Amino acid sequence: MKNQSNPWLTSNLLVLGLGMLPAALLIGVLLYFTAWAFAFSFTDLALVGRKSVEWSWVGLQNFERLFTRKGFLDALWTTVVFVFFSAIVGQSVLGFLLAATLRGTQSTIRSVVEVCIMLGWLLPDIVAAFLWSATTSQTGLINALIVVPLGFPPISFINDYALPVVIVANVWKGTAWSYLLFSAALDSVSREVVEAAKVDGATPLQRIWLVMLPIIRPHIATNMLFITIWTFTYFPLIFAMTGGGPGRQTETLAVFLYNQSFARGNLGFGSAISVAMLAIVGVLSIFYLRLLREPK
Amino acid sequence: METNPTHSRLTAIALTFMAIIWVSPFSWLFLNAFNTASTGQLEIPRSVGLDNFAMAISGNAGRQFLNSMLIAAGTATLSVVVGIAAAYPLSRLRIPGRNAFLWTLVLLRMLPSAGVLVPLYFAAQRGGLLNQLGVIIALTILNLPFTLLLLKNFFDTVPIELEEAAYVEGATLFQIVTRIVLPMSRAGIAVVWFFSFTGAWNEFLLPLIFARVQDAFPMSVGLYAAFGQQGAINYGFLTAYSIIYAAPAVGVYFLLRRNMNTGFAGVGVKG
Repeated sequence: MKNQSNPWLTSNLLVLGLGMLPAALLIGVLLYFTAWAFAFSFTDLALVGRKSVEWSWVGLQNFERLFTRKGFLDALWTTVVFVFFSAIVGQSVLGFLLAATLRGTQSTIRSVVEVCIMLGWLLPDIVAAFLWSATTSQTGLINALIVVPLGFPPISFINDYALPVVIVANVWKGTAWSYLLFSAALDSVSREVVEAAKVDGATPLQRIWLVMLPIIRPHIATNMLFITIWTFTYFPLIFAMTGGGPGRQTETLAVFLYNQSFARGNLGFGSAISVAMLAIVGVLSIFYLRLLREPK
Repeated sequence: METNPTHSRLTAIALTFMAIIWVSPFSWLFLNAFNTASTGQLEIPRSVGLDNFAMAISGNAGRQFLNSMLIAAGTATLSVVVGIAAAYPLSRLRIPGRNAFLWTLVLLRMLPSAGVLVPLYFAAQRGGLLNQLGVIIALTILNLPFTLLLLKNFFDTVPIELEEAAYVEGATLFQIVTRIVLPMSRAGIAVVWFFSFTGAWNEFLLPLIFARVQDAFPMSVGLYAAFGQQGAINYGFLTAYSIIYAAPAVGVYFLLRRNMNTGFAGVGVKG
């Protein structure tokens, strides 16, 4: 147990305090800047030009524009589709299935598959974006190996099916995280419980659905919390692959935020977008944390 | 456990198939990188050579590699040092509300970094920090909540009885920390360092905004700038550059792999 009466700690409170100082300072800066970002959302601050110096308070005007002008709601919908299919359906389900399947297999196959999916995860975002743009281009891998040999004219996937392509790319890139987490979680399920269910006549599906899933529910909630939020705010992959295009087909909120803030220079409106995103992320987190805390 | 041989063979085939699909994009990458007359097509190279790699480590590209190294190693080391100094007291002293505080910080960091980037950019501009050092400090600030939470969780697992015993033997606080606490949470520290390193190595948005001249680009921005250009894309150069850029992040992982698995269990349980 920890308590205050540990003499090597109590006699050195000053040293310990000094140790915490740099971190406290940096955290203070972070909080200060976050507050600043909130304040910006009520202004018409711009990146360049007159309004970068002579900005003024505009009240809730930026937040009204979120709903009255085109852009935000479309981007929100794109983001929901992107998160649902790439994170929740793709990464989470695929990661779980892999973890559950690999649990029983020989160690060689297990390590080969692990290394393969880890490669996607470890690859820098921009390399993944470059790789997938090339793979799905008119002369890319998919066309060269599948579409053209089957006698069809080559398809420019990245232009014609932009959103599905970025979703697939993100599943490819991110599944490893869910896999690792579920793998660690399944390792903590004791063999006796699974064996007992088997003796009682549970089918493999029942063993997963009725025995393993309830036990690792906290891990599922944790995983959902992390990947939903990460995917919700994920920027580099989509930005580097499509820049939000063609048109606005792949413009998720993160890309919309960047385009508004730095490409068009509307820092005030951009800050309002990030405040709105924070609110959405906050609601989602509370939802998942409740899931995590619910009594068994 | 009794296993059905047909069933497990099918599983093995399915898994192998999936692994092949998963790594297939890399075949294109390697075929083009070693092809000295690369055209971006999927083809067996007629002339194999390392010319593309030579091009990818000389001139601006080489400079960008050093920039990335500096930013990643600098951020990881600074985060870990600052993090350890604060996480040990946080773990051992009973400070009210510390867990709620750390979680709030982590959730706060979940907001898109572009939001905090605007004030960060203005502050860096005013402080003359629109350079590598600025990127390192900014990334450390953004990393810190997560670093603190993870390190504190790892320190929590070090049994305090050992520290008590050492104190009775006459060890000072410094000795207790460096001889007991740090060695025992080595795995955790390695994980945190690795996360910060790859995070900073991969970071794209922050240097995109902070680095204004080509000399200061890290590899992420350099690669983006090169393949974003329309017109004649030099695929041989880009693929070789991608491989060099991806190598350290992948390499560090495999070096720390054993530690990583221990660390991941920690993240899962405590998360």
